[in-house]
Amino acid sequence: MAFLMILLIPCVGVQGEIRFPPPEFESGYQLPSTTTPAAQPVWREYVDMAVLVASLLLASYLIHTRRSRRAIFILMIAALIYFGFVRDGCICSIGAIQNVTLTLFDSGYAIPIAASLFFVVPLVFTLFCGRVFCGAVCPLGAIQDAVLIHPVAVPRWLESGLRLLAYAYLGAGVLFAATGSAFLICRYDPFVGFFRLGTNWNILVVGVCLLLIGLFVGRPYCRFLCPYGVILRNLSRLAKRRVTITPTECIQCRLCENACPFGAIREPTGDWPEGEYRIAKRRLALFLVLFPILVAAGVWGGYSLKGQLARMHPRVRTAERVYLEETGQVEGTTDVSNAFRATGQTTDTLYADATQIRNRFAIGGALLGGFIGLVAGGKLIVLSVRRRRTEYEADPASCFACGRCYKACPKEHERLAKGAKAEARRA
Amino acid sequence: MTQETKHMNLWHQAARSTAIVGAVFVGIFTILLIANLIGSAVLGPSREKKLDSLKLQVQKDPTNETLVSEIRQLDLRIRRDRIWRLDFAHRTAHALLGSVLVLLIAGKIAYELGKEPPRPQHGTERGQMQVEEAKQARWAVAGGLAVLAIGMTLLGMTGWVRFAQAQDTGPAFASMQDKQMQWHRFRGPGGSGVSAYTNIPASWNGKTGEGILWKSPVPMPGRNSPVVWKDRVFLTGADPNVRQVYCFDANSGRLLWTGDVPTVPVEEKLELMEDTGYAACTAATDGRRIYAIFPTGDVAAFDFNGRRLWHKNLGVPDSAYGYAASLETYEKLVLIQYDQSDGTDGKSKMIALDGTNGQVVWEARRDLPNSWSSPIVVDVAGKPQLIAIADPNIVAYDPAKGTEIWRAECLGGDIAPSPIYAGGLVLAIEPYAQVVAVKPTGQGNVTKTHVAWKMEEGGPDICSPVSDGTYVYLLESADLLICCKLETGEKLYEQKIKSDFRASPSLVGDKLYILDMKGAMHIGQTGPEYKELGKCELGEECYASPAFADGRIYIRGVENLYCIGQAP
Repeated sequence: MAFLMILLIPCVGVQGEIRFPPPEFESGYQLPSTTTPAAQPVWREYVDMAVLVASLLLASYLIHTRRSRRAIFILMIAALIYFGFVRDGCICSIGAIQNVTLTLFDSGYAIPIAASLFFVVPLVFTLFCGRVFCGAVCPLGAIQDAVLIHPVAVPRWLESGLRLLAYAYLGAGVLFAATGSAFLICRYDPFVGFFRLGTNWNILVVGVCLLLIGLFVGRPYCRFLCPYGVILRNLSRLAKRRVTITPTECIQCRLCENACPFGAIREPTGDWPEGEYRIAKRRLALFLVLFPILVAAGVWGGYSLKGQLARMHPRVRTAERVYLEETGQVEGTTDVSNAFRATGQTTDTLYADATQIRNRFAIGGALLGGFIGLVAGGKLIVLSVRRRRTEYEADPASCFACGRCYKACPKEHERLAKGAKAEARRA
Repeated sequence: MTQETKHMNLWHQAARSTAIVGAVFVGIFTILLIANLIGSAVLGPSREKKLDSLKLQVQKDPTNETLVSEIRQLDLRIRRDRIWRLDFAHRTAHALLGSVLVLLIAGKIAYELGKEPPRPQHGTERGQMQVEEAKQARWAVAGGLAVLAIGMTLLGMTGWVRFAQAQDTGPAFASMQDKQMQWHRFRGPGGSGVSAYTNIPASWNGKTGEGILWKSPVPMPGRNSPVVWKDRVFLTGADPNVRQVYCFDANSGRLLWTGDVPTVPVEEKLELMEDTGYAACTAATDGRRIYAIFPTGDVAAFDFNGRRLWHKNLGVPDSAYGYAASLETYEKLVLIQYDQSDGTDGKSKMIALDGTNGQVVWEARRDLPNSWSSPIVVDVAGKPQLIAIADPNIVAYDPAKGTEIWRAECLGGDIAPSPIYAGGLVLAIEPYAQVVAVKPTGQGNVTKTHVAWKMEEGGPDICSPVSDGTYVYLLESADLLICCKLETGEKLYEQKIKSDFRASPSLVGDKLYILDMKGAMHIGQTGPEYKELGKCELGEECYASPAFADGRIYIRGVENLYCIGQAP
């Protein structure tokens, strides 16, 4: 299967090579003027929004009331087809983080209504129904879910470590969007190439690797990288209605223990080993002291990287290139430096702009570093706090609401049987 | 085995078989796609390389119809092949995706049907296990943090460009004082032909190599003169197809870089007089960049490291003998006297481009016909004036804004010699007819008020004049040197020098340097009487005016650039 996914590369790669120079006509033929595609009609946005809301409503019903994995799977595939292949993976809620961020920091940017709703609506549903968006509507989650064939459990400790990446990615995505540098999350969307049957090789390789991993590790992008997942994850802790493995009471049969391919089922807690309580208290105190140090270190580290981070901004990259050319540190010119010179702007203006952007990155970098320190410190504290669970339950943060665990519970079978009998009686 | 189990086994086998069939198709389509990719990667570049080489050949031999036909056929074949491959790839990719879908669905069903039912073990010591898990998770978070920290450190090690130094590099052009000590344009500062240095060699021999510091071949022909800025010597060269700027090391003669100047396609091929050639205009520098213009209307700027900073096409000038006016600079402006056609169609203009980016800063319309003289920027009572001449006007502009300061209507004919400013007078020549001196202190039309004198006993046809502030020396292209009093225009002598001249005369201290077409430099005494002090042979034909630097003369022959003088 791994080999199979590797073989997908040429299928997508060839689609990228669709442009080549026009013929050099000498017969008076007039080349048609270059046209740009027309903006998509407004009704399309409304359709997208309607489909999103309808999908989320349906997903909530299927997950919490109908409790049907098969129906959830069908809805997920339908969402994958519509939001992925029909709408080319754009618009998506994950990328909408950047639109929202940019509109907060750039008064000149008007966010499309669809982008703002795609950002907000799944959050609202998460607050009420948990991660129904991830489970049945997100095309990125769906494509990974669809290829998951032979799930392998990821150790929880590894999952805790890898999840830091998603926080860092979210922070970086927000920073680069806020500074107007780049929509990083969209640029490095690993699956959009599959939806559009065309992308650059680097992204394609990342996408293929994630799908290859996804054959055995459930939803690796969602769990370890997705920036929107970070927000949903934390909101779903507050969800009014959560996914429950059993429809009634847990009988501690342990049949559901391995039913979740995403490691979201938490077993009841046991008794503390002797002497552990005192050690845990000391450890917690240590991490509480360490917390501000980690945040401060992150702030300092992020601030120190202002020059490197600012390079993501095209204006800064142009300024650096022009500077290197002007001072003879590099040979030749590039299309970018030539284009800059053709604008008639002075290099002083360019350097001043770049310096101003770097100053913004100094603040943004410090905030990003501080955020990473905050998350890491917070995680260390949370992992040092003892929790109590009396039955098997789906962790609201990690649960993608996919419905796989329902059928592992004998109580669910009992419910279904009762339902079938009632149905038969009615008939 | 129950009936239900048998039934499940059948489904399991069917799903597995479907998955295998799907996998086979996936393999076939993938092989086809890879073969298609390899075909594109191997065949495409080799054919395109061949096409490029044929295009180069046709540039040299544009009338070769066989070659043109071969190019067309090859181009068609390449395009057909590309379109076929794209179409093939598109269809196969869809088939492949379909096969993948079948494989995934069948594989998933096969896995689900073949899955072992859960067999939960007896409970373990959960408490201890969970403590261990939490411990490992804390280490994993610490490890994740360490990975991020290492990533940030590595990123930090890449460094970044600081602009502070760039802002300290000074103004975007050299000062007037610096320019006075260099040979930054045709005939040096102000186009006067006067050397700032008097330690110039007076004896050399190109054949024996005596006094020649170095001699370097110039790749392309051109009649433009050397421009010197400190340790760099600039020239241009061109033929009907290629335009180049050259930078030589002033100390070794090594060609440091060659800058190509592009052009835009035109309907009619430009054909110029052999005497003018395709690189008659001398380049100019503002001490930061070197600017060049060609008769195709292409202007380009290069930095001193050979990077082309910008290029602009002003449109092919309609010039009877071929465009030949050299460039002038003022601060960071490049000044172009773009006289053309008969002066009635509004095409003639004086243009000032921003040297840093090539943008037009100002344009002044000139209702004057084509001319071949070069503009000069001179300091008149502390204020700069840009002076340009053409039939019938001498016009002075403010070089910063392009506004006209004064004009004198006193010339006629095809104006080739450039004006000079000496002893408070602007001197302009009407070939074969007269020399006119105008006081540049007026405003508006000064024809009746500021013409100081006219010497109406003929005037040089090509060569520009030179003056030491007391006398003015005029060189006719045939064989005649004329000396007049600068103050009054009174002719003092006519001296026959048996040779032909294209280079303008130059002045070094009290010596006249007159280079003839055979490459012999006639060195004469200035003053009311001519006295030849020496004659130095170069041994190569020369059309360009020499350039003077500290202790050195740079002379462009038809094939080589010479440096006469001592090593530093």
